[in-house]
Amino acid sequence: MYNILVVDDDKEIVKAIEIYLGKEDYKIYKAFDGEQALRQIREAQIDLVILDIMMPNKDGLETLEEIRMEQNIPVIMLSAKSEDIDKINGLNIGADDYITKPFNPVELIARVNALIRRYTKWGVVEEKESKTLIKNGELVIDDELKKVTIDGKEIKLTPTEYNILKFLTENKGKVFSIEEIYNHVWDGEYYAAENVIAVHIRHIREKIEINPKEPRYLKVIWGVGYKVERI
Amino acid sequence: MKESRILQTICYIIIPILVGGIILSTISIITKNDYYDSEKYFQSDSFVSKYISNLSYETSRLIYDNGTYYNLKDGEKTIYYETDGLDMQIKNMYFLIIYKNKAITNVELTEETSTIDSIKKYINENNNSKRVSLINGEINSESEAIQKRGIKYLDSFSKGYYTVNKSNEGEYRDYITTKLEDFEIYTSYLEEFAEDSGQQIAKEVLEDIKPLGEYSYFIIPTNVVLIILSLLYLIISIGHKKGVEGVALNDFDKIPLEIIFFVEICIGCIPFAMMSAIEGDHKAIISLIVTGFLLIYILGSIGFNTLIKRIKAKMMLKTTITGRIILFVLRIMGRFIKKCQKAIDTLKYSINKKTKIIVYWIIATFAVIIIYALFYDTAMLLLVMEGLITFIFYKIMKVAQQYSQIEGKLQEMYEGNNQNKLYVEEFEPSFKKSVEYINDISNGFENAIQDRIKSEKLKAELITNVSHDIKTPLTSIINYVDLLKQERIENEKATEYINILDSKSQRLKKLTEDLVEASKVSTGNISLNLEKINIVELVRQALGEFEDKFQKRNLKTIIDAKENEINIMADSRYMFRVVENLFSNISKYALEGSRVYVDIKKEKGEGLQYKTIVEIKNISKDKLNISADELMQRFVRGDKSRTTEGSGLGISIAQNLTELQNGEFRLKLDGDLFKVELEFEVK
Repeated sequence: MYNILVVDDDKEIVKAIEIYLGKEDYKIYKAFDGEQALRQIREAQIDLVILDIMMPNKDGLETLEEIRMEQNIPVIMLSAKSEDIDKINGLNIGADDYITKPFNPVELIARVNALIRRYTKWGVVEEKESKTLIKNGELVIDDELKKVTIDGKEIKLTPTEYNILKFLTENKGKVFSIEEIYNHVWDGEYYAAENVIAVHIRHIREKIEINPKEPRYLKVIWGVGYKVERI
Repeated sequence: MKESRILQTICYIIIPILVGGIILSTISIITKNDYYDSEKYFQSDSFVSKYISNLSYETSRLIYDNGTYYNLKDGEKTIYYETDGLDMQIKNMYFLIIYKNKAITNVELTEETSTIDSIKKYINENNNSKRVSLINGEINSESEAIQKRGIKYLDSFSKGYYTVNKSNEGEYRDYITTKLEDFEIYTSYLEEFAEDSGQQIAKEVLEDIKPLGEYSYFIIPTNVVLIILSLLYLIISIGHKKGVEGVALNDFDKIPLEIIFFVEICIGCIPFAMMSAIEGDHKAIISLIVTGFLLIYILGSIGFNTLIKRIKAKMMLKTTITGRIILFVLRIMGRFIKKCQKAIDTLKYSINKKTKIIVYWIIATFAVIIIYALFYDTAMLLLVMEGLITFIFYKIMKVAQQYSQIEGKLQEMYEGNNQNKLYVEEFEPSFKKSVEYINDISNGFENAIQDRIKSEKLKAELITNVSHDIKTPLTSIINYVDLLKQERIENEKATEYINILDSKSQRLKKLTEDLVEASKVSTGNISLNLEKINIVELVRQALGEFEDKFQKRNLKTIIDAKENEINIMADSRYMFRVVENLFSNISKYALEGSRVYVDIKKEKGEGLQYKTIVEIKNISKDKLNISADELMQRFVRGDKSRTTEGSGLGISIAQNLTELQNGEFRLKLDGDLFKVELEFEVK
């Protein structure tokens, strides 16, 4: 059982999160401002923090800074501030993820699960090295078994989707246009009017990403192409 | 390369030595055997010319009555006996020149040689001498060279003389012309003439440098190479000082080069000027020549040093009078050209501004003056008049130019550009008031615009902040509605109510998000990252995103792109937002089962510019009882009573984003046809 600290000055929101995460078998610690949060972190063995930004006494960013001076536990920022600059600020200070309010409970749970898996697995289970293993962050493609896992969770992909994802992951960091992907994955002549690739890519994103609109792995560069981000 | 004083000094010392070596070696090669041999000398032109010029010189003396005067026994002729001014050349030759009743000789007058005939005899019968005679213009000589080639030097006997004659009434001048035929000349020369003719000295010197001749084929190239190396070293090293970057100029190097050269030439001339003063003393002259050349060399190297420094420091123009004059002239010319251009501009402007008459009047006046000047010599008056007219012309130009400046400013303000200020003090007194008013209006404008920008920004900030305050309670509403939905509720009505709550809270969420975005986009409060993107690719990608939604409503998309790659300058993310909003609109409001057309084409725009047009057409499912303008207004939608999840801000956001990316957004409604056109310049 993992301990999760939820920090928000809005008690109802904390309660709601407690209900959602409680169902996922997490133990919830609660704090209503930054000071309390820091005290809780020092006292209890916290595995993950969900942190609001706009709070009395000590705001979320200050709290995050202080947490980072002491510990390296995963922190998810949860804020009504949805501007790009707010997100960049939070991630720069050391947040592992940023969720805007109002949030989708399913997304919150998925992100918490992903972070917990990522952090607790590190250094514990040494994955067996395989020649056919293509890895990028938590995305692992086993070409022998044609199996894709993300944060340790297996993802079911169609053969075409699998081929596209494998091709992009093998060339991670590089942007490919629809036509280039088509030529690499299909054998036939490229037929300009098709937008099959774009549809497939969206499907892959929906399967591997927690929030397909803000992808972590398979990114869309609008007007240029697609790429798997090097993580 | 750093300057080394020692190496430089060595260079300066060895250069003259090396040059001397070359000169001496060259002389020794050229003169290898010549002039040594008196035989050869007597065959040379130099001998012939010398011999005849000696005679010619003596004839002048005879005519000028220069010399010691003797009355010879035969009485009829006066003989001038050559005693003074005897130089070496004349020493080893004898001559007797007879002109009318006068004669001149250098034969010593003794008992035996007291008559003309006896002198003739003495000359002709001298055993070891060669005879030459010139009678009636005919040369007769034992010397082959004189016999053959003497004739070309004989012209020197035919010339004019001003002579001074003394008589009882005093002195008077007389002009005499002589011809060769007037003279009767008997002369002979000894073998020693060659030695005494200056060849002796040369011979001795050449004897001394003879060894050089033997090595000259080694000395000359070596010296040339060494001189070039020394000069190169000097050129490279001159001007560089330890610890100083670049070329160091001292005060001396700042004195105009012409002055330095002038002073150097003056100093260098001193020894040569002194030479003429001490004429005659050979030793003194030689020592002066040596001193002179040494002085010239020292002065030359000083000049060379400073010249190289100046060239290297790129200061030639600034440290010479000529350079300064050139710079000055260039500057004046530059200013003049600028003024002319300004005047021409203003002139054009004036002509445009119907002040043709003034310009014509000025041209006519000038023309009249020029014509007048052609016929009358009243230059001074004309100059004054021209000056006056030029002044008036200048004033008019200035006024016209300032007027155009004021109009330019007004035009700027009219166009909404308010950056440049007018400077009151630069204007003619009659304009000052107008300029002040214009500046005041401009300031007022500026402030109003600033205020507007500020208030727009404040509005956007207010909306953002309010949205934060709305979002927090909204989070609780959405979450608890969601939790409620997860509870098992038997009551059907309660389930229905919860669903309504769910959809409305979701809509409120979307509305808040769109509101913030719309307010930011409409105030331009976003940072764009314009780059080259392929609009065809973007449309395909976007269609991929909407495929499922379109399928759900049975919409078929037909893309018509003439090319596979049409690039525009846009922000990748915001351009997608534009297309996304449009497709999202279509997915909500298009007629079920209808077709959606997307045309992407390149069209020729104004001039050479091409433009890209993206045209999106679909059939609306509801009647569009509203104008395109109204539809683009925020919060206005096609059907005001509609309850779908949209906020009505999509089109407005798309329009603003397109315009922020330098594009044009056009919306056309034609019956049920809903058409959007995006236009961008092709990059």
